[in-house]
Amino acid sequence: MIHQFDAIIVGSGGAGLYAALEASQRCRTAVLSKLYPIRSHTGAAQGGIGAALGNVEEDKPDWHAFDTVKGGDYLVDQQAARIMAEEAIQAVYDLENRGLPFNRTPEGRIDQRRFGGHTRNFGEAPVKRACYAADRTGHMILQTLYQQCIKNEVAFFDEFQVVDLVMDNGTCKGVVAVELSTGALHILAAKAVLFATGGFGRMYKITSNAFANTGDGPAVCARRGIPLQDMEFYQFHPTGIMGLGILISEAVRGEGGILRNRAGERFMERYSPTLLDLAPRDIVARSILTEVRAGQGIRGDRRIDDYIHLDATHLGRDTLMRKLPDITSFCKTYLGIDPADAPIPVLPTAHYAMGGIPTDIHGCVVRDGAGTVVQGLYAAGECACVSVHGANRLGTNSLLDLVVFGRRAGRHIGDYVQQAAAPSVSEADAEPARSWIARLTDGRPGPHGGHILEDMKLVMMEKVGIYRNAADMQNAIDTIQALRERYRTVRVQDRSKTFNTDLLEVIELGNLLDLSLVTAVSALNRQESRGAHSREDFPERNDTQWLKHTLAHLEGDAVRLDYKTVDTSIWEPKPRTY
Amino acid sequence: MSKSIDLTLKVWRQAGPKDKGHFETLRAQNISTEMSFLEMLDVVNDQLTLDGKEPIAFDSDCREGICGMCGAVINGRPHGPLKATTLCQLHMRHFNSGDVIAIEPFRAMAFKVIKDLVIDRSAFDQIIQAGGFVSVNTGGAPDANAVPIAQDQVESAMDAAQCISCGACVAACPNASAMLFVSANVSHLALLPQGQPEAARRAIAMVREMDRQGFGNCSNETECEAECPKSISISNIARLNRQFYRASLASSVK
Repeated sequence: MIHQFDAIIVGSGGAGLYAALEASQRCRTAVLSKLYPIRSHTGAAQGGIGAALGNVEEDKPDWHAFDTVKGGDYLVDQQAARIMAEEAIQAVYDLENRGLPFNRTPEGRIDQRRFGGHTRNFGEAPVKRACYAADRTGHMILQTLYQQCIKNEVAFFDEFQVVDLVMDNGTCKGVVAVELSTGALHILAAKAVLFATGGFGRMYKITSNAFANTGDGPAVCARRGIPLQDMEFYQFHPTGIMGLGILISEAVRGEGGILRNRAGERFMERYSPTLLDLAPRDIVARSILTEVRAGQGIRGDRRIDDYIHLDATHLGRDTLMRKLPDITSFCKTYLGIDPADAPIPVLPTAHYAMGGIPTDIHGCVVRDGAGTVVQGLYAAGECACVSVHGANRLGTNSLLDLVVFGRRAGRHIGDYVQQAAAPSVSEADAEPARSWIARLTDGRPGPHGGHILEDMKLVMMEKVGIYRNAADMQNAIDTIQALRERYRTVRVQDRSKTFNTDLLEVIELGNLLDLSLVTAVSALNRQESRGAHSREDFPERNDTQWLKHTLAHLEGDAVRLDYKTVDTSIWEPKPRTY
Repeated sequence: MSKSIDLTLKVWRQAGPKDKGHFETLRAQNISTEMSFLEMLDVVNDQLTLDGKEPIAFDSDCREGICGMCGAVINGRPHGPLKATTLCQLHMRHFNSGDVIAIEPFRAMAFKVIKDLVIDRSAFDQIIQAGGFVSVNTGGAPDANAVPIAQDQVESAMDAAQCISCGACVAACPNASAMLFVSANVSHLALLPQGQPEAARRAIAMVREMDRQGFGNCSNETECEAECPKSISISNIARLNRQFYRASLASSVK
């Protein structure tokens, strides 16, 4: 079946909905999503959205932009960071006007709180910059944008899984998608397509990401000749609940919670004598893993899923109930323990992809280091790489990225479609996807994808995780190539057409395998340590050789690497010390 | 702290919206009590797939109680026996070996069963479309600090805005009424200055749409509040009723 629109938005999280909201004011817009819109993972974001309102303390957008650049270990494109920090203020006001209930100061103004890495006057001292709606900021952004989109009569294709991109001479013409409830293939033709499919934490064994975060947009683009940028930079949050990866907020350590190893030792004293348990995320995550590898985890078996304790028992039941009620209920719900009586078992959890589909500041996808735009193709949000997060993202900048660049992309689409010609597509454009799915579901015997997925997640966690070295990563690449070989014989076991979750999982697995390969190859090649990319064999940052973005082209089973300059036009790179 | 239990599941199986549906008895063996309810279903599904049978279709995504995707009626209770949790937050340590567990979809005329435990909740979207938003001109929004709002007012709005649109309130209600859902959405906006200009029109439009979608009337059974995973209070329904009656008397909206 063929549908015609001016703009197709793939993904219904914060970036996709904001883009749809803007685009729908100018042209016929449809949102395609494998979930229902309000179910997207944006909703899980708790902390807040950063904006230099200066409501509680003096603050300036330029300070915010600088913190973003420094937090990203100078791999951030600086003009883009400045745009994000400047437009943050209007973005927060717009959300507020549409009914987002931000927390308030005693005077009735929007309240702000502290978050790691956000400072005043270029690193002088912490600043209160995060606007928040209790601990449900992401949920409220999603609800607010969704209400506005259905008011604007955006067409929604819910529970449609994107499987291919239709390209014609380097111009994007639309996408091919499977309708999950029936198994039918649809072509959605459009003058402009925006990918806002979110992250891909599901390539790691332990992750805070939802099941749907399988990187469908970047994988589909990569298979159609679009490079992926800076894929080696993947953020691990230090404290996820053991075994589950669900986040325990930094707030526990902010209130005085202490990380301890099996001997009960406060080991952060050895790694970060000044900041202790409140050191930046990458440093704490690395320290925890060092303890686990040294046999100092709680089980002491040195395995990747061993854990350490986050001790909050000394805070007392009162403080816990008053200041950290959600954490208390999380622990009771998931672990059956009360943090007032027992320490919380935690370990680092895969959290956020800094890399993704390369774009310019309007969300237009670029195909090379010279910034050549792919006509009609856009990306925004976690699946995109502008790049405003560089080698390591600061807290509260993810929601901001969605809102600012989702909106910019939506506006650019509104202009672009006015002069672009309507694409002509035919059923033949769905043929590659159709024959692929036909093969997956041909009923021939073949392995189930589940074991391949488990092996992939484990090797990525162990060998392309927090600490990396050449031998491990080469080993991971070999393993992933072997898994990709096995994937070719996988068959969907569930033969039904209606709501075939098995088919969906096999499609997602293919995407994760492609992204794992690109990530591992990009990481192996970068011979330095920067932000979240930490090499045991190259422990120092090397600006002479590596102050550049990676552009990885997936070409069949091979990955070809190319590089792109970083915009350092405002602040000269300096060592990243806090 | 972990042990294994064996369970008997009576699961609602329905091939599609037009199928009559039936309960199927399945065994869930060697289930770790550390698993969540949905992980237990994952294990059962792996076995069904290996045996060449169709896995149980159910929705879930975040598995941390925020996305609102999951939900089924467990032994007669939406999201299971625990208070203020979603189904993904229910853990197997709350069950004993030998237990028989009945698992059904959320049932309501307005929620069509798509397959097994998966339901179509798009009726909720229709209700939101009828008025669950603030109409403002985009761009050039005034400084939000120009309209101060007291924190306790925001907190009440936020309490209502916690709704994750899961539909448990409808499944819990003997009349399959969506009043808790509608009232939460109406209250969130009505409690804020931004939402007040349209408050009357919104209340009427959303209630009318709820009726049109085939949800039942509220008869103060209060089951919805008891089963809501976000503990949304029925005081929101009282607020909605006040808004609705006041608006019906004063407004020209039909």
